[in-house]
Amino acid sequence: MPSVSVRNLTVAYNKGRTLALDNLNLDIRDGEFCVFLGPSGCGKTTALLCIAGLLVPTSGSIKIGDQVVISDDKKTFVRPQERNIAMVFQEYALYPSMTVRGNMAFALENKKYPREEIDRKVNSIANMLGIEQLLDRKPAQLSGGQRQRVALGRALVRDPSLFLLDEPLGNLDAKLREQVRFELKRIQRQLGVTTIYVTHDQTEAMTLADRIVLMKDGKVMQQGSPKDLYNRPINTFVAGFVGTPKINFLECGVTAKENRPYFNFGRSSLPGSPSLKAKLSGKACVIGIRPSDFALADMSDPEAIKGTVELIEPMGDEILVHFMVENHLLVGKFDAADEDRVCERVAVKVDPEKLHVFDGKTGDRIA
Amino acid sequence: MPGQLHLTSKQKLLHAFYYLVLLLFAAFYLLPFWGAITTSLKSSAEVFTTSPLSLPDRPTLEAYVAALNHLKKPLINSIVVTIGGTFFSVLLGSMCGYVFAQYRFKFDNIIFVLVVSAIFLPYQAILVPLFQTIRRLGLYDSVWGLILAHTVYGIPMMTLMFRSFYGDVPKCLVQQAMLDGYGPWTIYRRVILPSTKIATVTGVVFQFASIWNELLFALVLTGYDAMPATVSLNQMMGTLAAEWNVQMAGSIWLAMPVLVLYIVMGKYLIRGYMAGSVAAT
Repeated sequence: MPSVSVRNLTVAYNKGRTLALDNLNLDIRDGEFCVFLGPSGCGKTTALLCIAGLLVPTSGSIKIGDQVVISDDKKTFVRPQERNIAMVFQEYALYPSMTVRGNMAFALENKKYPREEIDRKVNSIANMLGIEQLLDRKPAQLSGGQRQRVALGRALVRDPSLFLLDEPLGNLDAKLREQVRFELKRIQRQLGVTTIYVTHDQTEAMTLADRIVLMKDGKVMQQGSPKDLYNRPINTFVAGFVGTPKINFLECGVTAKENRPYFNFGRSSLPGSPSLKAKLSGKACVIGIRPSDFALADMSDPEAIKGTVELIEPMGDEILVHFMVENHLLVGKFDAADEDRVCERVAVKVDPEKLHVFDGKTGDRIA
Repeated sequence: MPGQLHLTSKQKLLHAFYYLVLLLFAAFYLLPFWGAITTSLKSSAEVFTTSPLSLPDRPTLEAYVAALNHLKKPLINSIVVTIGGTFFSVLLGSMCGYVFAQYRFKFDNIIFVLVVSAIFLPYQAILVPLFQTIRRLGLYDSVWGLILAHTVYGIPMMTLMFRSFYGDVPKCLVQQAMLDGYGPWTIYRRVILPSTKIATVTGVVFQFASIWNELLFALVLTGYDAMPATVSLNQMMGTLAAEWNVQMAGSIWLAMPVLVLYIVMGKYLIRGYMAGSVAAT
């Protein structure tokens, strides 16, 4: 299975006035499950189409394994059908006039495999996905989930060296999505095929990815493991995009007291880590607090911030508490067992080491 | 009774009035057709003694036999020209439509507009150059000349129609086929064509009806040998001094194929028009 490396990939429209993809650099390791994540229009599908060879970039180069598929000078261009790539589209793109078997065999027929071998391959993949009883049906006779499986099967049957998925779960309902997500991960592990997966759903990205490439406006904001992005987001955009429920942001002024910075908003303040003091002096900043990083405190605790409870959402073993502090609506996630400690008012503290501190102007991470 | 509509007497009266108006219109539209059928079933003697709309006293098919004798060769010409013209104009128009719908290339929009603008050229405007071209090609009074003319004249309309049909085929279907290793020609043949059968049926019916009924090109581009039935029917008026029953029988022979085609393909045609505007697959 090959690695993929992308260098300075740029796709421009309107004579360079609109950049769909702005200087993308990327190294995907062999066998890695890489997720392109971002809001719609961020360029993630554009990047995928370039790797597939369905879109010719304005500039930049792409290497799949040892083969340069498009070079900077565009003198080398390997056509999509020669890249041994399988792709699953959000709309599934099943050929409506062919049966499921025909759909799955279509690519193999082109490779001039003998009939028996095609049948054997199709049957074994159909078995693996549990669609063997659907083989003689037409796509129109299938449900959404079945179509999705067929699309997946059609991609897998080819033994691709690179597997591209463009929002493949987008058209499924929530329950089915979870199930197929699990299967997808299992199959990918089993086959060890290098996979690039495009989605705007951060939950999918967090659960599936070995590596997430988070994009916005054609640029990569941050890439790394789901943990990296969650624990050390490099700016407010990344912090806000990854994690559910969403991270809380507070605009603060900073003052120093007894060797330790304090983040002030309104009449409340939160203590920061002493190690930050030097980096912060007098700057306006934005702090980010994950809902799960709030800890309940006593109302008498002078270091705790106090708020008015607006809404409690029970989630089974956890509760989400929406509370108002100094005109900021914050969300905290607590153990359901602690529900009786949350009344009309609530007091919370945050471990100073868990605060995410961003520059107030640029939104970049300070610490 | 639940679910049933209760009409007041006033509404009933209104409904009756609507039906009466609609019936009157229907009768008005069907009158010439009725006249043609009754006249065609009469003997030559009876035609001149009775009203065109009255039922024949002694129905006879002799007019149909006479008309068929006269129209045999022209009808065969018509069939050849129509099938040939329909086949080539639908085939080429559909290929053009596919290219314009699925591929981007330099000046594609300008070329498309140029091709399609030919739809708005009136027949009469191109008649003289068309005649000269066909004669130079040595195709005057040949079914091939007429097939060529109908093909060329049909391509713009078919291109426009098929482009809109194929434009509705999801782009990812073509991209998928590309990744599966196929080139434009196989994608057209094995993916696009089979998933848009309604488009093909619509195109075929449209071209078949217009070529079959066409008179002007046929009049100008053929002499005796390749003369299609429309021209021949017109000439019957001059040669056979107003034998109305034979005339009408000939008209009905001529109308038959298109009518049958409409009846058989009608439901596809309506679905086709809808599909073109909403969704293809």
